[in-house]
Amino acid sequence: MVNKPSTRTVTEPAREIEVLREADVVVVGGGPGGIGSAIAAARSGARTILIERYGHLGGMATGGLVNIIPNLSDISGKQHVFGLNQELLDRLDRRGGASYPDKKDWGTTDRKVVDYYLDANLGWFYVRQDHNIDQQRVLYSAVVDPEILKDEFNDMVHEAGVDLLLHSWGTRPIMDRDTAKGVFFESKSGRQAILGKVIIDATGDGDIFVAAGAEFDNECDNSRRTAWLAFIWWMANVDLKKYDEFKASQPDKYKELMQELGKLGGYPMFFKGVLKNQEGVVWYHCMQRQPERSDAMDVVELTRIDIRARKRALITYEFMKKFVPGFEKCFIMQTAPQLGTQGGRRIIGEYTVTEKDLETDEIFIDTIAILANNDYHEISAKHPTLCIPYRCLVPRRMDGLLVAGRAFSSADTINESFNIIPHCIAYGQAAGTAAAIAVKEGIQPRHVDYKALRQNLVKQGVNLPDIK
Amino acid sequence: MKSITEPARETKVVREADIVVVGGGPGGIGAAVSAARNGADTVLIERYGYLGGMGTGGLVTIIPLLTDYTGKQQIIGLTQEWIDRLIAHNAVDYPKKEHWGSMDKEIVRYYFQRSFFMTRLDRVSYAAIIDAEISKFILNEMVEEAGVKTYCHAWGTEPIMEGNHCKGVIIESKSGRQAILGKVIIDSTGDGDLLPYAGIEFEDNIPPNFRIANLALVFWVDGVDLHKVNEFRQKNPKEFMELSRKAMEGGGQGNFFASNLPDQDAVVWFHNRYSNKSQVDVEELTRVEFTGRKVAVKTLEFFKKNMPGFEKSFLVLTAPQLGTRASRRMIGEYQLTQKDLADNQPFEDTIAIFPDLDRGQESLDHPNMYIPYRSLLPKNIDNMFVACRAFSSDEHVQEWFNLIPHCIAFGEAAGTASAMALRAGVGIKNVDMKALQKQLANQGVPLPDVSKKVDYKYTGPALSTPPFGQH
Repeated sequence: MVNKPSTRTVTEPAREIEVLREADVVVVGGGPGGIGSAIAAARSGARTILIERYGHLGGMATGGLVNIIPNLSDISGKQHVFGLNQELLDRLDRRGGASYPDKKDWGTTDRKVVDYYLDANLGWFYVRQDHNIDQQRVLYSAVVDPEILKDEFNDMVHEAGVDLLLHSWGTRPIMDRDTAKGVFFESKSGRQAILGKVIIDATGDGDIFVAAGAEFDNECDNSRRTAWLAFIWWMANVDLKKYDEFKASQPDKYKELMQELGKLGGYPMFFKGVLKNQEGVVWYHCMQRQPERSDAMDVVELTRIDIRARKRALITYEFMKKFVPGFEKCFIMQTAPQLGTQGGRRIIGEYTVTEKDLETDEIFIDTIAILANNDYHEISAKHPTLCIPYRCLVPRRMDGLLVAGRAFSSADTINESFNIIPHCIAYGQAAGTAAAIAVKEGIQPRHVDYKALRQNLVKQGVNLPDIK
Repeated sequence: MKSITEPARETKVVREADIVVVGGGPGGIGAAVSAARNGADTVLIERYGYLGGMGTGGLVTIIPLLTDYTGKQQIIGLTQEWIDRLIAHNAVDYPKKEHWGSMDKEIVRYYFQRSFFMTRLDRVSYAAIIDAEISKFILNEMVEEAGVKTYCHAWGTEPIMEGNHCKGVIIESKSGRQAILGKVIIDSTGDGDLLPYAGIEFEDNIPPNFRIANLALVFWVDGVDLHKVNEFRQKNPKEFMELSRKAMEGGGQGNFFASNLPDQDAVVWFHNRYSNKSQVDVEELTRVEFTGRKVAVKTLEFFKKNMPGFEKSFLVLTAPQLGTRASRRMIGEYQLTQKDLADNQPFEDTIAIFPDLDRGQESLDHPNMYIPYRSLLPKNIDNMFVACRAFSSDEHVQEWFNLIPHCIAFGEAAGTASAMALRAGVGIKNVDMKALQKQLANQGVPLPDVSKKVDYKYTGPALSTPPFGQH
């Protein structure tokens, strides 16, 4: 059977689309970037609509099962990321929905404490190498419960007065020449439109920008994390004590088994004890490394990877169950409903953040976030933070549009380390605040006064540098 | 209504196939696998990253009502194949074959306690509780082996119409808006999403007291010491009931089912109902998501605090898809209605037999529902099927016959017929019915002898239990 790829087109005639809502700010995508944007815009007084493709908010943090909010402090233990990130963690904390190292331990080199966090599993998220002193140190990174998080995000957007539409896929902008006036979206109600004064593309992949014909950069070195997709699943009913004993008492046998699993196409690596209240649950973050750079934006590629990854999960599960002590009674608790997208298109903004900005410790006049820089190896040791300018959220050409999320204007090098959940929340908080200012002043987002924006963010608890 | 003009545009065609199936739930899987196995070049479009619809993403992990009250299996075909493949992975639970139809009180009680779905009409009924995750894998295997070209993460949004002919569908995905063309288009969206755009007549009235007037947000809780729960329940039945009542008073759910699947000893399943105005109204869907999620968290917190055995429990997962029960129903070439629920004669174009088990004495008097091919065909379009719960039925028929095994059967018939029509060079409305029935029978689908009149009268004992879900 041969399926025939086609080169034809079909003509869709012009048609009238119902306008469901008119708002000040329209946020497309309810992941970390979109949530940050919508809450900040609504709190700043803008009539805000958030549309999300799935039935839950949170994107990778919930539906992707990438339930980690890491790198809130730098390697010395100094917290840099505050604002909505910290507010969220405080709220989750009250409901038992977050785990993170004790504040007194941030930055510690005390071997006992470091080992405790390494052993408290997910050590990789809690501990980093400090290249200045050649020792491991504990960081402020949080692991969150995705189901509690979904509910908490609902509460937060609701309290902020955001008008939310779930199960709604924002597909294309409504353009008037180079200015966005709204978006079309698809849902069970059919195709409808929402009009707005500022549209924030928080789709993660710059979907709205691309449909608007904006320039973007999709280059990425294939060795980077951001060049791959991940498929995440959780297994439950694992006797970890028995597993640890086996691994300790028969290291050779263990190694042999894991090699065998690898040969079969399975995935040997997992994290233990994802959440403190989930006994016997393990977390597989299975990287789908491709021989060549794959395009996470290509639906055919997404399908192929999803099907293949699910097969790998099954191979792993059945092998572990059959051969590895402690896994006899395990079962696949869930596979993430969303593929773990790690990087995609990046818009070309008024400013593109590159490695040079990291190495020169650039403090921009329009800095909207300070991020801790922990994943850049030796460079991190010398340059513990990176400042993010507002201009990397502003497209070079289009008006009425901002980006919030991993599609911010950046080189692939920078994107690899600064496109995760806390970063996207921070970009969102800035984009949402700027959008509200633009609406209030009746100006384009690119003309928002940097000083006013920064003052506003500081009022919201965002940590920003002094600018001389 | 304010509107905005979307300008005309050229949309890229990414594929041209024989058969395009929109929606990878039970109906779509049935359709795509059958079409491809019968030699058609088949495309399947699915909105999520996995197949199975309600059976997987909805966490409605039940394939019930497979035997009639006598214990005779009436739904086999692809449904049984799905279950057989689960058996090979030890990922399914169902009553033993020798018990199907049994009225032995001990045996019936055993299965009743095991699962609400395993007994009906004082008898054991063949229902399978399936593993959602292993099912996702198995369904991928089935479409792959059949040679279906699947698009996951792609939302089939509307048909491309030319008069009374549907040329293909528009899809939205991370690749942007694209088109897929086909000779036969099968709407397996569950809600008949293509119907309004194709100008196909439909209705969506549902009395508020019907099962299908409700959405669900199913969730699973793990870390439960079920042994302890059951002990408490047996020793203190009153307290147990009281706690369950309090949970509901506090805005949570009171009742749960044990998973029953191998090794899922600590997992329970909370099914639920949220009444709603429409299951295709995005604002209603959003509202129910909010409510359902709140209820799930409240339920967990209440049980964890108060119910012995739940001390270490945690919320594993809320279903990524809302549990949709019914919405649009096509008014097709033949509309199954309430009067068919009393008629025991098969149709000449019967393509499936569904056991009728949920209506008490009425079910005993009408043990099987026959499904005509025409209930899958729109009146005004010459190359489209509706193979999902949006099949042509009134609200009474829809109430009882729109579950997973039913939708698979609709799909199986539509997919097979599509491929046969294309091969014969005829329209789907002119397919050779005898040949189609013969082919379905070859695929393991039980069908009646339509040449004989059915002479049936229930003569067994009177019922001792009330029917399920009386309204």
